[in-house]
Amino acid sequence: MEQWAILSGIEGNLVAYEALLDDIRRQRDSVAELYVLGDVVGLKGDNRAVVQRLQSPRTGELEPQVCIGWWEEQCFNLYLLGGLPDAPELIAQEGADTAQHLFESVSRESVEWMRSLHFGFHELDCLLIHGSTVGYADELTPDMPAIQLCDRLIRADAKNLFCGRSGLAFECWIEPSDLCSTIVTLEGTQAPKEQGRSPRRVVGVGNVGRILGQATYTLYNPANNHITFKTVKYGKAKGFALQGSQSQHGHESPDIRASR
Amino acid sequence: MKLAVMSCIHGNYEALNAVLSDIDRHKTDQIYCLGDLVGYGPHPNAVVEMIRSLDIPTCQGCWDEDIVDGLNACDCSYPSQLAEKRGKQAHEWTDQVIHPEVREYLANLPITLQAENLAFVHGSPNSQHEYLLPSMDGFAALERVLSTGADVLFCGHTHVPYVRDLEGGKLSMRVHQPGQAETQKQSTVSLKRIINAGSVGEPRHGRPNATYVLYDTDSKQVTLREVPYDYQKTCLAIVEQGLPPIFAWRLARGMEFAERADDPNHVCQR
Amino acid sequence: MNNPSFIAVAGPSGSGKTTWIQQSFKDQTAPLFYFYPGLDTISVDLMRLGYGFPEVQVIPDQQAQQVLSSLPDGAVVYLELGFHLSLESPLLSALPCHQVAVVPPYLQESEWHEWADEIVLGNDIAMLDAVKQPELWHTPLQGQVFDPPSLEVVLVELTGGAYGKVHRLKGIFEMPDGQALYIDFVAGLEGIEYTELNIPRWLEGRPHRLSGIEVTGYNLEQKLIAQTLLDGSLADDMIASYQQQYKTLNPVEEEIAV
Repeated sequence: MEQWAILSGIEGNLVAYEALLDDIRRQRDSVAELYVLGDVVGLKGDNRAVVQRLQSPRTGELEPQVCIGWWEEQCFNLYLLGGLPDAPELIAQEGADTAQHLFESVSRESVEWMRSLHFGFHELDCLLIHGSTVGYADELTPDMPAIQLCDRLIRADAKNLFCGRSGLAFECWIEPSDLCSTIVTLEGTQAPKEQGRSPRRVVGVGNVGRILGQATYTLYNPANNHITFKTVKYGKAKGFALQGSQSQHGHESPDIRASR
Repeated sequence: MKLAVMSCIHGNYEALNAVLSDIDRHKTDQIYCLGDLVGYGPHPNAVVEMIRSLDIPTCQGCWDEDIVDGLNACDCSYPSQLAEKRGKQAHEWTDQVIHPEVREYLANLPITLQAENLAFVHGSPNSQHEYLLPSMDGFAALERVLSTGADVLFCGHTHVPYVRDLEGGKLSMRVHQPGQAETQKQSTVSLKRIINAGSVGEPRHGRPNATYVLYDTDSKQVTLREVPYDYQKTCLAIVEQGLPPIFAWRLARGMEFAERADDPNHVCQR
Repeated sequence: MNNPSFIAVAGPSGSGKTTWIQQSFKDQTAPLFYFYPGLDTISVDLMRLGYGFPEVQVIPDQQAQQVLSSLPDGAVVYLELGFHLSLESPLLSALPCHQVAVVPPYLQESEWHEWADEIVLGNDIAMLDAVKQPELWHTPLQGQVFDPPSLEVVLVELTGGAYGKVHRLKGIFEMPDGQALYIDFVAGLEGIEYTELNIPRWLEGRPHRLSGIEVTGYNLEQKLIAQTLLDGSLADDMIASYQQQYKTLNPVEEEIAV
């Protein structure tokens, strides 16, 4: 059974990304697609190295399919390639010094490459995107009101919405039902309509680079709709990866070498 | 309390006068306006002066915003290249004739108004550019009402009036997070309502008549009003002012000057 | 030796002459000729004929004498008579024509009835003002590619009378997905007809093939019509981006070789 590996938020952390690639290689069920849902760059790591790593996968490695994240959008703004020239959101959140640091940590060529990336991917009945179709900054979490997640799923026009902005790993099933909608126009009253939909899912795919020593990502099997969240522990000193895993039904996958 | 709510006047002074007279006859306690006072029509200054002099609480429409900020509506809010060219012509004309104090008034309009359990917006609570069409998914529509915290959401922008009741919607939610027990929640949403006020000055329901709504906060009754007026006067003024004559032709047929966007739920990313 | 046969077709504007002729082409094996005296070479009918029936030879006005005198064995020549050509023209009387009138069903008596050997019932169209000759405005549109929603607006306005009273509109318009549409409107008939021409998609820049529009009516604001049409036609970069998008979405489909 072929699976997809879906990750987000490398944030310049090349070591974490390498550890994660190692983990993907070790999967018993082969991984056929590799999606990177934005935030490739960040403040703490080596942005240039990560961009280069993504641009040129090694022989035999999957070609990562990368879409734009919130940090990339800030780069567009700083390099005057985006809609908001002075990156007000970034400066409000992180300060002007940080903005300068980010500006210096990426090359113009890298930013142009980011600019060529997609806003998201529609594959099968899935939308894979950094925030949501509302924007890069839209942070979906399981603590949001159900109606808001429901709205994002409707806008996504997909049964599975994979996103990365929150950095959390979660799956959240939403089932709207029993809504009676009645419309009156100048021409009269239309017959009431019952509205509802089959359950759909928002999946937070975790975050690779934000927490040092621990990268999380998601494996998705389109054939059986099964989600597995993977946590990869890594450390330079040990030279090999420690990892733990948890799946939708709580059972652990058999290829674990060391659990937490 | 009896309310009258109107929207999308678009510089059509004749239509506004007819609607105000109709409102007078219905002895309302309060009038609200949902923006788009200017754009396309020949009398933007007179319309704004009238709304100001009557002290009508008004929220900012997409045209009011564009006249203030410069034309920065994204291309995507136009349904066609032709509509965009016409929109730009209308914008440039309006931008030239508008008085500084009118511009300032438009700049200071609020995006939303709220009064007890009622909310007032131009397009949707998300954006002045979003269309809440009656065909919108019921739960998406419900989300727009709930995001305001109100029970009744008044909007305009589509130029065709309607009332939509959304009742009994249930949402169940099941969350799984690694290392945590699965949680489940279910909620039912009480009756919410969207009332679209139509358009005073640029109707699109296939007749030239102005439209607006009456709402009784006690009985919760809504009345969609369609008011005939001398639209030929406005048509003549459009041509006299040097605006494209096609605007007059479309107005006389209730076709709206520029038709609405293809993707009504699109939210501009600018 | 088989003598060539001549079929002359007449009838009011929009009655369905061209449609009838093109129907007749379908079941013929003889060498086919088409002659529309006085018709401009930029006529939409001729373009459509060229796309739909490339085997039919179109006789240009200036070569009529020569072609008609050296027709091959068993040739069938269709002569279409526009409203601007009189039924008593010397050209007609010189040829041994089978005369076909395509008329609206409600019309019981007319000059066409008197003239015809055969009556074909065509579209249920409104008759033109007999007193005043209508204007015919046409323009080639070769190389122009239209934004579909804009084109739709223009056509609704045009046929709705925004730029003068339109009795008939025919056009071939290029679309950003490389297709060409044949568009037909007749006053009195329901709606505007859109037909995709069965020709290869043009996905390499501006199309180098015939397209155009012709409008028959009264008080036509020709300049305004032309300007409004142009306002809905796409710039080079937009054409390129639509074509690229189409090619990306449909990679297997064979592209037209230029």
